[in-house]
Amino acid sequence: MTTYAKPRPTIGPDNAPFWQGCRAHRLLVPFCQTCGKAHLPPGPVCPFCFADDIEWRPASGRGRISTWTRVHKAWFPAFADEVPYTVVQVELDEGPRLTSRLVGARDGEIAIGHRVEAVFTDIDDELTLHGFRIVAE
Amino acid sequence: MGETALDAAIVGIGTSRFGHGLPESQLKLAAIAFKNALADAGLERADVDGLSIHLGWPLGPDYDRVAEAFGLDIRYVNQSWLHGRFITNALQHAALAVSAGLADVVACVTAVSFTRERGFLGGPGDVEGNREEGGTHGEAPPYGLTAPAGGAAIAMQRYMHVYGATSAQLAAVPIAMRKHAVKNPAAIMRKPLTLEAHQASRMVVDPLRLYDCCLISDGAAVVLIARGERARDLKQKPVRIAGMQGTRAGREEFIFALRGLGINQQSVTRTAARAIDTEVFAKAAVTHADVHGFYTYDAFSPLVLFALERFGYCGPGEAAAFVQDGRIELGGALPVNTSGGLLSEAHVAGWNSICEMVRQLRGTAGATQIPGAQVLHWGTPWGDAVMLTCT
Repeated sequence: MTTYAKPRPTIGPDNAPFWQGCRAHRLLVPFCQTCGKAHLPPGPVCPFCFADDIEWRPASGRGRISTWTRVHKAWFPAFADEVPYTVVQVELDEGPRLTSRLVGARDGEIAIGHRVEAVFTDIDDELTLHGFRIVAE
Repeated sequence: MGETALDAAIVGIGTSRFGHGLPESQLKLAAIAFKNALADAGLERADVDGLSIHLGWPLGPDYDRVAEAFGLDIRYVNQSWLHGRFITNALQHAALAVSAGLADVVACVTAVSFTRERGFLGGPGDVEGNREEGGTHGEAPPYGLTAPAGGAAIAMQRYMHVYGATSAQLAAVPIAMRKHAVKNPAAIMRKPLTLEAHQASRMVVDPLRLYDCCLISDGAAVVLIARGERARDLKQKPVRIAGMQGTRAGREEFIFALRGLGINQQSVTRTAARAIDTEVFAKAAVTHADVHGFYTYDAFSPLVLFALERFGYCGPGEAAAFVQDGRIELGGALPVNTSGGLLSEAHVAGWNSICEMVRQLRGTAGATQIPGAQVLHWGTPWGDAVMLTCT
């Protein structure tokens, strides 16, 4: 068995449901049952109204690229065979943004505002990472 | 109960040499800078009874080890670890401590051994970036955004999209810093930088090229703070801390972006600098027109644009044009980081620029002297600030 050499997420009580959702290939987002707003990164309370009654709900998995960068330098040796690769921030249709990988896009295709949808990659028996791919409007 | 009035001055500065792969330990570099600061101020080691440490775990020794190693007897401590966002915090706490009588002389101590700690800077040793929900610069290590440069890159990418700014415009920032470093014998990078060389340099994290990224260097700086009355009796012309404003944080803030730029969870509505964003001017009873030079944390060249907009030197989206035609160079309308900054002098976590401000206000900056410098503004991309004056 080869060991996954890239950094793994640090998982704690506040974000565990998010990563469990990824395992099931579902993008789950914390919603506040008091004010109805979704937030990311996952927190212990609603950052908008400070209520405690957070419910994890499936997000559409769709959004738009709000910013991006193409990483050319391998700060981690484990990423060396992938550079350059594209990291995006995606504004989900539900509102909050998250940082992820853009998959399957060619150079020149990447632009702020592009419509994207979530995809999932199983890394091993414990970890699934999300990614996004560009889709039509 | 009245409020404690701010009454603090910089009475001494000291640095080690700056360089790559220096053989001295981080603590040794700090000791060299400490001795130089004491000599500069005409103070004895026993006069220092406070420490404001911009050092500490996970990137250096903590305050107690510094006090133990240097044989100090300390009655006031503030500690923030070696991270750019805590420079001003360390300086401000020193100023507040002497103002409140918690100490007579506070030493702000920073020491950097980045060439020995490279793995920490976005690599496998980065315990900060690997925390739950990543690091403060937007690090998301599982997705390969692992270094502080990535945070500046995603902010600049969006800034370029929103305002049409270009990499060639951005180049004016590192070119200006290099011009200053060429005049500064203590600077590491002393060969002039051209626009062509900037544009031809390798892409690191798009849109940041090699010369948009600061040096990874070694060096130390110590700044000594005392009350105004004490300062007037000491060897050097006092440099007064005339006003301050604190660090900004919240969902509208990202340390490497302007409010409303749409990074992380920010809104997408930019506004011109508000009174609360620039309160340091009112606190110091000065205006923008009074400021002879601006100093900021230029770890990446976009940060200079963001700091200029944040403090209202120009409007939203105007900074890329503002920095052209030598405006931020010595001889320009608003010289920025006149010793060369982190981009070209050395990455001493910004304290190299604080020391330069003191030399400017004493009138001892030599080849980089701003004629008649009396009011200088230190303001960071994350919104904290200190106004220094010699009046």
